[in-house]
Amino acid sequence: MTTPLDDAVAIVGMAAVFPGAPDLDRFWRNVVEGVDAVGPVPADRVDPVFFADGDQLDVDRFYCRRGGFIDAAQPFDPTEFGIMPIAVAEAEPDQMLALATATRALSDAGFGTGLDPTRTGIILGRGGYITPAIGRLHQRVRTAHQLAECVRELLPDLPDAQIAGLRGQFQAAFGPPHPEASIGLVPNLVASRVANRLDLRGPAYTVDAACASSLIAVSHAVQELTAGRCDVMLAGGVHHCHDVTLWSVFTQLRALSPSGEIRPFDRRADGILIGEGTGIVVLKRRSDAERDGDRIYALIRGVGVASDGRATTLMSPTVDGQVLAVERAWEAAGADPATVGLIEAHGTGTPAGDAAEIATLRRVFDPDGADPGKRQPVGIGSVKSMIGHAMPASGIAGLIKTALAVFHQVLPPSLHCQEPHPDLAGTRFDVVQSAQPWDRNGSPRRAGVNAFGFGGINAHVVLQESFCDRDAAPRRGIQVTERKGWAPPPMFVWAGERVDDLVSVLEDEKRVLAGALPAGPEGPVRLAIVEPTPKRVALARKVVARGQAWRGRNDLWFSPEGLITQGGKVAFTFPGVEPTLAPELEDVSAHFGIVETEAPVATEIGRHGMGIIRVGRLLVEAMSRLGIEPDVIAGHSLGEWTAMIESESVPPEVVDLFVGGLVAGQLVLPDLVFLAVGCSAELAREVVADLPDIVVSHDNCPHQAIVCGIEGSVAVAQERFKVQRVMGQVLPFRTGFHTPMFQDYMAPFVQCLGGLPLAAPRVPLWSSITAMPFPSDEDQIRALALRLYVEPVRFRELVQNLYADGVRLFIQPGQGSVVGFIGDTLREHDHLAIAGAVPNRSGMEQLTRVVAALYVEGAEVRFDQLLAMSRADVPAVCSPPAAGRSGDALRFDAALIRGSLQPLDLGSRPSSPLPEGEFGATLRLIEEAARVVMEAAEHSSTPTPAPTAPTELRWRRRFTVEDEPALADHAFFRQPPGRSTLADRFPVVPMTMMVEVMAGAAQHLAPDRLVIGLQQIRALRWLPVDPPTDVDITAAFVGTDHDRVRVSIDGYARATVLLGDRYPNPPETLDLEPLQDEGPAPQNADQLYDERWMFHGPRYQGVSEIRTMGRDGVRGRVTALPAPGALLDAAGQYVGYWIMVNASEDRIALPMRIDRIDFYAPPPEIGTQLEVTVRFTEVTVEDIRADIELVQDGVLWGRMASFTDRRFDTTEPLFRVILFPEVNGLAEPAADGSWIIGEHWRSSASRELVMRRYLSGPERAEYAQLDPLAQRDWLRSRVALKDAVRAWLWDRGAGPLYPIEIEVGVDDQGQPVVHGPDGVAPRVRLTLRAEDAVVVVDEPTPTSTSVRSLSHSDTGR
Amino acid sequence: MIAEVIGEGYDLDLDITRDTSFAEDIEIESIEFVAFGELLRETYDERVDLVAWFGEMDVDQIIALTVGEVVDYVVRCTS
Repeated sequence: MTTPLDDAVAIVGMAAVFPGAPDLDRFWRNVVEGVDAVGPVPADRVDPVFFADGDQLDVDRFYCRRGGFIDAAQPFDPTEFGIMPIAVAEAEPDQMLALATATRALSDAGFGTGLDPTRTGIILGRGGYITPAIGRLHQRVRTAHQLAECVRELLPDLPDAQIAGLRGQFQAAFGPPHPEASIGLVPNLVASRVANRLDLRGPAYTVDAACASSLIAVSHAVQELTAGRCDVMLAGGVHHCHDVTLWSVFTQLRALSPSGEIRPFDRRADGILIGEGTGIVVLKRRSDAERDGDRIYALIRGVGVASDGRATTLMSPTVDGQVLAVERAWEAAGADPATVGLIEAHGTGTPAGDAAEIATLRRVFDPDGADPGKRQPVGIGSVKSMIGHAMPASGIAGLIKTALAVFHQVLPPSLHCQEPHPDLAGTRFDVVQSAQPWDRNGSPRRAGVNAFGFGGINAHVVLQESFCDRDAAPRRGIQVTERKGWAPPPMFVWAGERVDDLVSVLEDEKRVLAGALPAGPEGPVRLAIVEPTPKRVALARKVVARGQAWRGRNDLWFSPEGLITQGGKVAFTFPGVEPTLAPELEDVSAHFGIVETEAPVATEIGRHGMGIIRVGRLLVEAMSRLGIEPDVIAGHSLGEWTAMIESESVPPEVVDLFVGGLVAGQLVLPDLVFLAVGCSAELAREVVADLPDIVVSHDNCPHQAIVCGIEGSVAVAQERFKVQRVMGQVLPFRTGFHTPMFQDYMAPFVQCLGGLPLAAPRVPLWSSITAMPFPSDEDQIRALALRLYVEPVRFRELVQNLYADGVRLFIQPGQGSVVGFIGDTLREHDHLAIAGAVPNRSGMEQLTRVVAALYVEGAEVRFDQLLAMSRADVPAVCSPPAAGRSGDALRFDAALIRGSLQPLDLGSRPSSPLPEGEFGATLRLIEEAARVVMEAAEHSSTPTPAPTAPTELRWRRRFTVEDEPALADHAFFRQPPGRSTLADRFPVVPMTMMVEVMAGAAQHLAPDRLVIGLQQIRALRWLPVDPPTDVDITAAFVGTDHDRVRVSIDGYARATVLLGDRYPNPPETLDLEPLQDEGPAPQNADQLYDERWMFHGPRYQGVSEIRTMGRDGVRGRVTALPAPGALLDAAGQYVGYWIMVNASEDRIALPMRIDRIDFYAPPPEIGTQLEVTVRFTEVTVEDIRADIELVQDGVLWGRMASFTDRRFDTTEPLFRVILFPEVNGLAEPAADGSWIIGEHWRSSASRELVMRRYLSGPERAEYAQLDPLAQRDWLRSRVALKDAVRAWLWDRGAGPLYPIEIEVGVDDQGQPVVHGPDGVAPRVRLTLRAEDAVVVVDEPTPTSTSVRSLSHSDTGR
Repeated sequence: MIAEVIGEGYDLDLDITRDTSFAEDIEIESIEFVAFGELLRETYDERVDLVAWFGEMDVDQIIALTVGEVVDYVVRCTS
């Protein structure tokens, strides 16, 4: 099997100039609308003298008068431009067109900055034809000479001087000679000039494979990318040659259409029409493109190239060669050709060519006897029907057309095929007559592009739609987009040292009414008036005169010494479900450019729940921009969900799952009534004490409680409250939350929460159920989250306890009653409670008040963030570019463009008219090309505000062993060589590589800064790379100082990356204290790997020495290897090794978290040796923690604090099986000859290790399909059978046997059947008991029952 | 009394008259109403039953409630 590209390359940018289409947009419009861009030969392109009617085959008389010409499509005024500089005038015009097209293609791909020229190249298909400049040279050199000789022959008496004069005149018609410009005549310069102008340092060359040139250029470019030599490649083709010699060749060949029509696949087809054009695509590795959030037109999944070999003639195509190319491409794609939906045929419209191509297509895509079920129609066509045959550029025309078809999901039409070729009858192929939607048929949209060249060189490219579909659902969560203007209301804000100063300031009413923001030193005495009026100023005077804090009434805030200044903490208290709907707050999202998207929710309570969470998250984000961050987070009732999310106790990557699970449409809720009562919870409890099925569900504050119960009881209670003169109000929703009656409805919530990873909260999170801080243990968090549903809300106590904990400021991120509850509870105590949103004000108006209030209390708020944003502040759009191009503005690095264009000078006016005739048009094209480039340069050099860096980035990355081949050496399980796949070995991304990925992600956000450390690194689960895993990666600045970036490899890992402008100075003291009982280690570094203590293959074998070992640490030396994450991984290997040596069970330990990493220097060069000291700080049954120092040349390079390995519960026998599986098993012989196999693992994490140790690929697939409850016994039975049979075989002298070599199935009766290597199939009988399994193994009976494999038939794709 | 409910010191801006609105001018919150009702009842007696009285009103009326109306109600109850 050839190496599959496996979606490795993405088309991220394109540009084109073809007949009728000066740009890509027009090209696609023409394609969709079926515009025939072929026309009569313009007189200024080919001298009409060469055309003649009739059938004669003169070398210089052409019978065909039509073709595809680009000049008509280039609207420009030639007088607008000056004389071309000589270098441009003399050069082949295709060079300027290629330069302009390459520039546009890069622009289309969104390249501004960020193009690494050293890793970018260009490969273009170009033919060796006589192009205009070389034609001129030919005439100047040879024709002039021939002319002179001819005249001399004719007029022998003519003096030499006159002949020379004649020759001079002839040559002068082509302009003065410019030897210095001769370089512009070299054909490969079409690629080199682009490289030169754009400073590309990768390969730049042309290829000539006739009509297959472009696709072979693409093939080369793909190889550059997949080999990792380049990160960005431009590929395509150029053909601008309507030279009479070319016309002559095709006339001689009789290939030109006598009817003047190019009719691919029509029975009347009689030949080609010559076209021209330039097309260039920008290619990147798919993983990079997804990481960078590029718009992906299509993926190149496979390229196939083949020659006809010894064909009958060089001119007539052979089907075999074409078939070979097409089959190679689909094989490389690893895709079934039957899944093709569109074929862009070579489609020359010559009878021989069409017939051969149809035969090829039938053989590959519609073979005789093909499964009729798979014979879905395939659209075919050829862009040649619209633009003519652009020769070496024809392949790229077809590729661009097809990529756009894939992208727009349209089957585009092909022209002039009214009477389809007879060979198409009864096939899958339909020549597309008009554009039609392209529906997916069970597999991704796939298309093939053919380009078959003269001489028998064939190429085929398989395109596939990107799964980052342009129609993909908008990404959830918060993204940054453009801001809209909002003007804050007038405000007067003042800060100073003394109240007296404020008193005098307030004397000046005019000044206060004019509004002002604080400037200069900010003292503790603070005042804010929003929308100051004379009445408010007067009130302010009274308030200030009295000297006591004033918090918010009449939009006035005053404090002689703010609560924060006094050390008070800020709590965010999230509101729960309230009778009023969640506010919209569109102005907030618009102002801050926060885009929220949400999943549709089916139920009323679901919408409600989503609403409060959405508003909560929006306001938290907005307040964060305003400089307001909580010290503590809590929630009222279901507001605790938002609180859990915002504290990141629910990791950001599973928020959607969390919320989705909570508000799922199919929830069944008890029919219980809530009654809010205006009295204390104590009184409410007394009132309902004797009533059935009613309880106090909320203790909100001294003057409000909520009771919840069945309707009858609530009705009675309501009457009783009335008698007691207690206000009561029935709430408009019935959920039964916070009551024991909800217990029976818990299942979906248990299920939802049970499957989600939960984490210790990032910000202290308090529970409204316990009125205490949340625990940090995952299981305890989960338990508490579940208690929320069935236990009463103790909000009053929560507020009191928060107050006791030092919280003085309570912000309610949303509308609701929470501020009221707090006010009532803390009536006697100095505090601030303010809502982030209120019904009677817009979101921004209320946030303005929050900012004012917080400022007065001493917070460092960002008034500037309230102001309307100027253009310069607009953050970049960070989401992947929207579908379609976002304007054609070039986003090149200005310096790059300017630097590249220094030779160009279009400033002067023409001193002579432009040449007429056949060169005129091409010169105009040069001008156009130059103009485009110059405009781009000018555009770029216009002073523009410094672009504001984005604050959040998201992209998708594919983790695959193809992109990171070294990961094949980071696979846990040794498997039988030759009888296993890489997937059997379970290659995963090391945690330390995830550290590098996250550091890189942060660097993406802040390219100018250094990653100086990371903290709170958590690996959440294995990230396998075979099969590849696609993961979303998010990087977002924390706060406003841009020193910290929170990065998430969604679902797999997360960390906060620390940024700085320089590395901190390393501490001078190193950990040189002797280890306890320090002595030599039992193994040396070689033994570490040779004896399989560490599973790592060579590329991760970074431990180069284990110097000493003690009871509390290890010392050694590591080598910086090039594999991703290898250095830190090597340092971590000491931890895993130490526990293996020092523990007697649970000896397998793998890295799970690191509390903090600090770097004191740049990454060491490959090969550098670093000294490592590992100092264990804690060893428990669950994990091992160590502080690790890495020292380079005696100076601390980096330090990892609390590098934590998780221990997997494994018995000693299981440990041996995992390390040496081929000679160890778990089966113990019993007295009666049977085998007993215990369960040597307890936790689900260890079960996964066992599962991967024992099961083959098909078995793992089956295991994955099982209900989790069924998995345990299923696995026990497999392990028991495999190990019993292995033991039995070993008893009979068998050699090493891996578990996966024993295949377990069941027969028709459901009885287990096993198959070992070499067809051995002993009979087995299995009994599963509570603690273990018993297996009886016997010699096989002669007639073995038919076996139905347990593995799934591997048909479904 | 109102000052006591809404918090000490916040009476500075209020020249409370019969036309002062609870919702708009005093920015009283629903729970403060409860506290206010409690206070009225303690000050006068069981006959002042804000809860029962509110029960007869719709939401708009409660929102528009002025100090004068409450005074009239208390007078009615206690006379």
